[in-house]
Amino acid sequence: MFGITISDLLYRRRQFIIAIFGAGLVFAMTFLLTGLTNGFSVEIDQTVTGFHADVWVVEAGTAPRLSSLNPFNVSQVAAVASTPGVTSATPVIVIPETADRSGTPSDVVLIGAPVGSGPLQQPLTSGSPVAGPGQAVVDQRLGATLGSQVTIGGQAFRVVGITSNRTMLGGIPNMYVTLGDAQAAAFQGVPIISAVVVTGTLGAAPSGLVAYTNQQMEAGTLDQVSTAVSSINNSRLFMWVIAAVIVASLVYVTALERTKDFAVLKALGASSGRLFLGLAFQAVLVALIAAVLAIVVAQFMTGLFSQPVVFPTSAYVTLPLSALVVGLVASLIALRRAVGADPAKAFG
Amino acid sequence: MGDLEVRDLTVEFDSGGYRVRPLDNLSIDAEDGELVVLLGPSGCGKTTLLSCLSGLLKPTAGSIRYQGIEVEGLTGTELSAYRQKTVGVVFQAFNLLASLSARKNVMVPMTLAGVGRKDAVTRADALLERVALSERVTHRPGQMSGGQQQRVAIARALVHDPPLVVADEPTAHLDHIQVEGILVLLRELAAPGRMVVVSTHDDRITHIADRVIELSPQFSKVDAGPEQVTLAAGEVLFEQGDRGDLVYEVLEGSVEIYRERSDGTEEVLASIVAGNYFGEIGPMLNLPRSASARAETATRLTSMNVRAFRQRFPRSGDGAHEPGA
Repeated sequence: MFGITISDLLYRRRQFIIAIFGAGLVFAMTFLLTGLTNGFSVEIDQTVTGFHADVWVVEAGTAPRLSSLNPFNVSQVAAVASTPGVTSATPVIVIPETADRSGTPSDVVLIGAPVGSGPLQQPLTSGSPVAGPGQAVVDQRLGATLGSQVTIGGQAFRVVGITSNRTMLGGIPNMYVTLGDAQAAAFQGVPIISAVVVTGTLGAAPSGLVAYTNQQMEAGTLDQVSTAVSSINNSRLFMWVIAAVIVASLVYVTALERTKDFAVLKALGASSGRLFLGLAFQAVLVALIAAVLAIVVAQFMTGLFSQPVVFPTSAYVTLPLSALVVGLVASLIALRRAVGADPAKAFG
Repeated sequence: MGDLEVRDLTVEFDSGGYRVRPLDNLSIDAEDGELVVLLGPSGCGKTTLLSCLSGLLKPTAGSIRYQGIEVEGLTGTELSAYRQKTVGVVFQAFNLLASLSARKNVMVPMTLAGVGRKDAVTRADALLERVALSERVTHRPGQMSGGQQQRVAIARALVHDPPLVVADEPTAHLDHIQVEGILVLLRELAAPGRMVVVSTHDDRITHIADRVIELSPQFSKVDAGPEQVTLAAGEVLFEQGDRGDLVYEVLEGSVEIYRERSDGTEEVLASIVAGNYFGEIGPMLNLPRSASARAETATRLTSMNVRAFRQRFPRSGDGAHEPGA
């Protein structure tokens, strides 16, 4: 029976190829949307991990959101550092800013930390780490080149290093400078900070402060983009429906065209179940080929997005599995045609 | 008793909301080795009879016995086995699968019956050689002539070497050269061990048949002269599906023409009053009655055959007299 099904598939190959491309492009969009939502998590994880913190200490009453921490006085760093179990306590500033590059404004997340501290030790694709005032390391998504100038709040910075995969909130590039430069650019030089990055253990945060783990900080920051993630997920669901409709349309049209064939096959001894299995096989095959095509196409489409697109390994398994389900659901549309075929109609 | 016995076979089904009876109490007999031709115009029930013989359609009433098998009583695996092993079907318009080559089309029934691929290929090639299509085994139906497609269809019907082969209008789509080839083949197939039943409206086939069964209406009163008929109120004159050769003129009273719907209700088509006629369509076109006639009141009619009707109403058919049924 599968030989008959495959022969039919080859006979109608143009129809199937069109459906494979249609469903494949929709699957590719679905795959990309999966990469986009995953990208939000991955970029925050990479940025948070890049601080080399074990614990984050922020002002009490502040939510663990990396890009919207309430500033507090730098003098409280000493209280944190003196807490038992703390190996190091590094004051940092993390604040969204607008950078100017030769008259072109760009959103950045300004991160300030003392020279030589963990937060300024980022993996570089070129250049060198920040070694003093007036220097900056920027993520490559900013588009700045080594030696170029970037201005924030009237403060000019020379780009000395380029890093990668250091973004937040959907691809906004991080810009690493000294703590003093960050205070000057963001707070007119007032000695305040956003958080204290702690290595070691912290039994209890000093009065007026609260401690968060890296996981809490990542989850809280990701929560800021939950609306965007939710919208993308809804779009992804919509894409699955479109893909199912495309495959279902193909299967239904095929079933309509083969109504007489079904009657003949039944008259020759085929059962309804075997006819349905043949249709389901075609639908699943189309969906699976479309899924493979989607995975390949999606690799070339990531550059179209300004946000990080990171495909989770699990997506390479779930996409074909979901496609299989889509194929099976789509084939149900033709179930009635296969089951309802009247063998006596073969005579008509 | 013959190898094939059909007794009082009636088939009734719904068509467009009306009850249609293409076969009405049909009884026929045929013997093994015969080429049986079912002859008749379109709509006389030839294809319906073949559908019943091949186990694809359950009759409404009556029985079909083929070599001891009660065909109408078969169900489930017995019915599947009968369709696969006992009867081979050659459909009108060939009904080959367009996506498959000639060889694969012949292999289909064997594939469905679980025959191994190697054996199926060997058998298909042998059958295609028998119908003189060895050179066309890899061609698809679209690449073959009508006659060649019909030969493939016949080869497909023979895969399980069935003792009964039914062919529906096997020459309907062929030119005269192709017709000759197919008829010779069918004649050869009808031999001891195999009965071939062919439906056709082409009476040329009757010359090579062992048995001809006419399914067109058989009228018994064609030469009868005009007669007076009296009906009581509510009395039915004829029913939808009846065979009849008489036309009626209403002299007194009125007659209701109505159709029975599938749901058992009636649809009144016309009320024929004195001076008008009805019932001419069936006899003139050699068709069963398409509606029933019933007296609405005490009614007196004149019945007449078609010839008398044409003399009495020379301009009949112009719609002036509520023709029908």
